[in-house]
Amino acid sequence: MGGLTPNKMLSILALGAMVGLLLLPIVVSMPALAGGGGTPAAGGPPPDVAKKADTPEAAKVEKARDVYYKTEGIVTGAPAPKTADNPQFYPRYNFESRVLLWIANQQHLYYGSFVLAVPIFCMIIEFMGIVSKDKAMAKKYDQLAYDFIKISLTAYSLTAILGGILIFTFLTLYPAFFGYLSSIFRPVMHIYALLFVAESGTIYIYYYGWDRMKEGLLKWIHVSMSVVLNVIGTTLMFLANSWIGFMMSPAGVDEQGRFLGNIWHSIHTALWNPLNVHRLLGNMAFGGGVVAAYAAYRFLASKTDEERAHYDWMGYIAMAIGVAFLIPLPFAGYWLMREVYAYRQQMGITLMGGLLAWLFIIQATMIGILFLSSNYYLWQAMGRMRGAEKYQRYIKYMVFVLVCGFLIFITPHTIVMTPAELKAMGGQQHPVLGNYGVMSAKNGGINVIITTTVLSFIWYQRGNKVPMVSWAKFGNIFMGCFFALAYVNIIWLAIYGYYIPANVRVGLSVPQVATTLSCLFFMTALNLVMLKGAKQSGAIEWGKISVRSQYALIMLATAFTWMMGLMGYIRSSVRLFWHVNEIMRDNSPWAYTHTTGFAANMISFNVLFFWLTILFVFFLATLGVKKAPAEAKVSVPGRVPEPATGH
Amino acid sequence: MRVILLAGAVIGGIALVVFLVMVAGLLPPQTIRLVEGYMPMQLLAELAFFVAVFTLISYLLKKNGLGIPRFWQGISFWLFIILYLKYRIYPPIPFSVRAIYGTIAMVGVFMWMSGAEDDWKEFKKPILNVLDAVTPFHKALRTFYLIAIPIILWGFSYNSFLPNLDEPIELRTVHPAPPASTKVHGKTFVLQTASNPYRVNAEGKYDQEYSNKLITEQSMGRLLKPDANPWDPKAEGYLKFVREGGEIFFQNCHFCHGDNLNGRGLHAFAFNPIPANFTDPGTLAQLQETFVFWRVSKGGIGLPRESFPWASVMPPWEQHLTTDEIWKVVLFEYWHTGYYPRTWD
Repeated sequence: MGGLTPNKMLSILALGAMVGLLLLPIVVSMPALAGGGGTPAAGGPPPDVAKKADTPEAAKVEKARDVYYKTEGIVTGAPAPKTADNPQFYPRYNFESRVLLWIANQQHLYYGSFVLAVPIFCMIIEFMGIVSKDKAMAKKYDQLAYDFIKISLTAYSLTAILGGILIFTFLTLYPAFFGYLSSIFRPVMHIYALLFVAESGTIYIYYYGWDRMKEGLLKWIHVSMSVVLNVIGTTLMFLANSWIGFMMSPAGVDEQGRFLGNIWHSIHTALWNPLNVHRLLGNMAFGGGVVAAYAAYRFLASKTDEERAHYDWMGYIAMAIGVAFLIPLPFAGYWLMREVYAYRQQMGITLMGGLLAWLFIIQATMIGILFLSSNYYLWQAMGRMRGAEKYQRYIKYMVFVLVCGFLIFITPHTIVMTPAELKAMGGQQHPVLGNYGVMSAKNGGINVIITTTVLSFIWYQRGNKVPMVSWAKFGNIFMGCFFALAYVNIIWLAIYGYYIPANVRVGLSVPQVATTLSCLFFMTALNLVMLKGAKQSGAIEWGKISVRSQYALIMLATAFTWMMGLMGYIRSSVRLFWHVNEIMRDNSPWAYTHTTGFAANMISFNVLFFWLTILFVFFLATLGVKKAPAEAKVSVPGRVPEPATGH
Repeated sequence: MRVILLAGAVIGGIALVVFLVMVAGLLPPQTIRLVEGYMPMQLLAELAFFVAVFTLISYLLKKNGLGIPRFWQGISFWLFIILYLKYRIYPPIPFSVRAIYGTIAMVGVFMWMSGAEDDWKEFKKPILNVLDAVTPFHKALRTFYLIAIPIILWGFSYNSFLPNLDEPIELRTVHPAPPASTKVHGKTFVLQTASNPYRVNAEGKYDQEYSNKLITEQSMGRLLKPDANPWDPKAEGYLKFVREGGEIFFQNCHFCHGDNLNGRGLHAFAFNPIPANFTDPGTLAQLQETFVFWRVSKGGIGLPRESFPWASVMPPWEQHLTTDEIWKVVLFEYWHTGYYPRTWD
């Protein structure tokens, strides 16, 4: 362990300062929370209001009912402004203000997601490096985490710049709306700002302290700092989510939009938690995709086998992390939609059966592309293992199962057709498509896709290994039966869903998901146990993967980016002509829903813009690599970097 | 084993020939019928069957030294899917959906062909042969493509500039988001919380579980549940109201929506689209009872803006029926189809 060196002292102090900064906003906000009205839900006014009850001013205190929590609270804010289509409420350039805001928002979100996700990766990878027994591997992981945070640092500055642009856009083009939203969230605005300062401080110390804190206790302190960093980042995101949650499902205000003093009600709206979970998982999957694309880009541009091996490995790790968070993402999305329906049936129908239903078909297409790309990558990755050929012959059957699941998953409920086709079909409902177009079948479709992805992953794990445990035969039979029964169960439940009431049908998703997750956790675990002491039929030849696999990674990242843009648009446009749902009406000339085609073009523009700018970020990272000292290179000269021993 | 494989290949081959003869129009398209009610699973099962058949045939041919080149395997399988979607499924699938399915099938074929490196090399070989002009034949083919591809592209471009006289495609929202509340005969109903006053148990209390147990068997026959006949004069409560709803239905609704509630009534084919098919799982089963109540009360004219082009001629039944009658008709429709109204808890 050694003595307490100045370096260690400095690190501990820095960490203490960070924790202090983290806690400071909460301490500062205490009076604001208390003064904000306490908890009306518990009954009775808060202490500070109760104290004034005997004074003459108490008679003037106006109370109102919370639109969501239905509790009474003291009116402490002004009503939501009633806007009109004029430059006072909606100053404008000779351009659609909404589109400008859309671009500013989307770019900020892309970068925000990236810089929130990457430190989580760094935390995981740095930790893997610390616990790894193989010293070369440990160094490799450490270098990878360092590379990640380096990319993230440049992106972090861009996020801040884009955040500034976003606020200016709001203030310039939607001052009335932004003023109202700020008035509601005033008690936590400064917390947000302080957290941002804390995040910046932590990330800089984390990055610049990397070399100084590379061994012993200091290394543990360093990795702990990444935990602090991620706690701050996640809290930041949750706070930002509370604003969009408030816009979709307002709470803490009365029917006129007057703030009732309880900021927790305004934060903790009906959709806040589902949004938090969905965004957190989404950010991780997105971050994984972007880093994987970076690795793929570097792989394709590599000139030496050593470089190719390194970026092949990096792409694999990033893809694995991304997909690990992609798998639970549909379930989090399902929960979010369930809460949307529970909050407002109209909103749910507008999303999934009405005006925006076609956008969900596009979303389903994107999800399908993500899973297909992941599977394809894994099959390609088997190509760099000797001995994996025995699994490759089954690819065609897996493709068939995946494609069938995908076809069902994207069958639209509302079909685009000409009047002649409508007549030929004999009505709006089709006996095949009608059945595929509803939730029961779609749940079956997506679960089949995910289960097949798990199967691909297990085969990938086994690629170059032959289980040597004495019960290997039994284990294989058990695994085969488990997967077969899982498919039967998922498909059977999908069919059974047509014969039962809708509320029970919704509940059927639980056993379906449980089946899929059982395959994921139990079978992966069983596989790992079976592979203990397995005979290797050949090494993993990192860098010998096909270029198609790298295009699959780029496709994966592009699909993530596109889907994020799409889902953000859907989530935002479901408010229709409301700034704040049912509280503050949007009276600007742009309070209509765009056509699907226009929205798709806008999303594509945002995706393209993001990728162009992130390429610049990648380029900056490359400049850094060129200037890196020779000792930073981890591999032994003349030796191709060792592959990860585990998968 | 060899005999079994051969027998399987022969049976599959016959099925394939029958299908191709149907495509060519030498046999009526529905010679082997898709059974209504089971079509979705039948379709998947048939596709799985043909995949097995192709695998078997391919295996046997390869074993006898007559293997089909991978390039042609991929192309012919994709063509098979396209033909299957167009000619096998009846009623015909609209082009937009066929295009989606065809594209995904193509992606699937690509994944299959390029899944393993050796397969991919084999698949690319004929394409590279043409590009590299390895034989005079390939060279001729390359020249042909050099001329043909621009002409085909020109043809597509020319075609896209021609004035189009087809009716425009419609992206119709069949089930638009309903309003939060609706006013019928002076009374306001909140759609999220209102319930059918006639969905009651023997004690006269609202009970969806009770009524759910008494609806018809949801299958083709729409069989009555034992001891649950609404036309029994002794039927009380829920079943009595179902009967009353049925009487109203057959006096007012069945002309368009049909005796079997499948949207094929006497006058149905005067309209395009024909009236809603309540036996389809995409209609009543997806909706809350209050949604149906709102649609029946307000008719086609009461559809919101998002339902453009408002392709519904259903009259606003509130002008002809009482509130109670509308609720009873809704009750009957759910009973008859065997579907349960949607609930959110």
